[in-house]
Amino acid sequence: MTTPARSTASATRSKLIGFVFTAALLAAILAAGSVRASAADAEAGRRKAEPCAACHGPDGNATIPGTPSLAGQPTYFTHWQLIKFRDGRRKDAQMSPFAENLSDDDMADLAAFYAAQTPRRRPSSVDAAKAAAGAELVARHHCSSCHMPNLEGQKQMARLAGQDLTYLLRLLRGFKAQTASDLDGTMTMAAQPLTADEIESLAHYIAGLP
Amino acid sequence: MRRFVVIVLAVSLLGALTTWFIPAQAQQPAAPPTWKQGQPAELAGSPLAPIAQPPAPLPAAEIPVNKLKVPPGFRIELWASGINNARAMTWGDKGTLFVSSRVAGNVYAVVDKGGSREVKTIAKGLNLPNGVAFKDGTLYIAEVSKISKMEGIESKLDSPPQMVTVFETLPKDLPHGWKYLAFGPDGKLYFNIGAPCNICLPPDTHANISRINPDGTGFEYWAHGVRNSVGFDWHPVTKELYFTTHARDWLGEDVPSDRLDVAPKKGLHFGYPFCHQGDILDPEFGKGRACAEFAAPLLKTGPHIAGNGVEFYTGSMFPADYKNRMFLAQRGSWNRTQKIGFRVAMATLKAGDVPKYETFAEGWLQGDQPWGRPVYTKQMKDGSLLIADDYAGAIYRVSYSK
Repeated sequence: MTTPARSTASATRSKLIGFVFTAALLAAILAAGSVRASAADAEAGRRKAEPCAACHGPDGNATIPGTPSLAGQPTYFTHWQLIKFRDGRRKDAQMSPFAENLSDDDMADLAAFYAAQTPRRRPSSVDAAKAAAGAELVARHHCSSCHMPNLEGQKQMARLAGQDLTYLLRLLRGFKAQTASDLDGTMTMAAQPLTADEIESLAHYIAGLP
Repeated sequence: MRRFVVIVLAVSLLGALTTWFIPAQAQQPAAPPTWKQGQPAELAGSPLAPIAQPPAPLPAAEIPVNKLKVPPGFRIELWASGINNARAMTWGDKGTLFVSSRVAGNVYAVVDKGGSREVKTIAKGLNLPNGVAFKDGTLYIAEVSKISKMEGIESKLDSPPQMVTVFETLPKDLPHGWKYLAFGPDGKLYFNIGAPCNICLPPDTHANISRINPDGTGFEYWAHGVRNSVGFDWHPVTKELYFTTHARDWLGEDVPSDRLDVAPKKGLHFGYPFCHQGDILDPEFGKGRACAEFAAPLLKTGPHIAGNGVEFYTGSMFPADYKNRMFLAQRGSWNRTQKIGFRVAMATLKAGDVPKYETFAEGWLQGDQPWGRPVYTKQMKDGSLLIADDYAGAIYRVSYSK
């Protein structure tokens, strides 16, 4: 009977193996994702994204404060959010009407297009002291266990690094207030212990990440 | 029910007081996400994590149904597809199949049109609506903290009636908050209230199977110490309740086993969080306890195998020895490097002995890659068996001919 307990003597080696495992797993996930998304067409997504460009930018890098960038977001993330807008589980005066008439294929194509775009850090004015405090909070609140070590996102979990500061603040405050739309409740729970100051610090740190 | 509300209030009050009197420790790590909770420090770098639910069903043409294997004489085919996150199934009086989902938030109606099936979404935007049950023309739907009904739904599939709340004082916790819902032979509605964690000492209001009258009155606990049961059925002859339970994570590759249990009477305790699989004390919560205090499992179904659906076979299409056998839909492991499950198993009861346990349908796992996850079964009127797959968003039909 094998158990996954490891001896502490080989901790460093284990970490390395862990890293290799993680990389292999990621490759497997990406491979599986691309197989599954064979129906998704990023080029069709580019055409379908034309009405989105006014707010989210032609390549998914938005410039309007408060509007999220979609470039580099994992396909599952964008697709699930669009489903939630269409179903009315996530509501936004500007966004909801756009999602209302999207088909499943439209969503898959849009998600594939935005995932293929290169994300750029938003020019939010980041407070250095808050960001420094935020770095420690990211570790304490296990953000990277779902959002990955550099908060680049994966699967249905959003890419956060370099996202717009105003948007990050609005969402984190929404999760804390239990009013932000949540796929399975994980973010709402994660936000409950955060103070208003800690939310500021987290947002400033995340907005400053490359 | 009043007692239940009082307990809920008392627990919430206790929680509030605890927060009030114990000052927050600035340097103390916050609780990790539920799936990671209970992970030992030496496994902090483990790549194991839950399998993400795809946002869309697999197109019918991409479902490799030819990879599925059933015993000789049986045949498995794709019966319906395009049902995002298809989970539990229940039949309407007029032959409509109602299908639940979890994260997709939808409830569907599948109408058999002879050679093909039409899928209608009859409710959307719900809170993890995993439970569906039908009785006397009314569909009952269980979300995390409430149970609702749609009266006369089968004649109004294209303009579904408003959902009317039947019972809404259930805990709001999301971890293991989704429910399986079924009518017992006593005409009561049974459902689970899961532990709000991977491993913790849950409040008295959680980690159980409970029941109410269909009008929302008469709440009572039926079974205790059940971490999370999202599948149960009653023996066609003895009328006893059989149920599966998902065991805790991060205790090891091969332990603890998930379990199949029988609860012939009210009030039994099945061990969580003190004792797992009937013979392993929890390293933290098992101190000072003994497994002999609790009901032992009828069958250890396998570590992390994620047993959901339980259904006794009562039809006459399958061979005679299938009568009163249980079909166990096993959605498949994530907290294990060697994946297991991703199949429909069967258990045959043996008087005074461990049930015979074997594979019925498999092939959703190819190598280390699952392409589908069987989650519930539902017998058809003709004795064939439907299998719902929440990962591919599809329903398969298994039939038999000599």
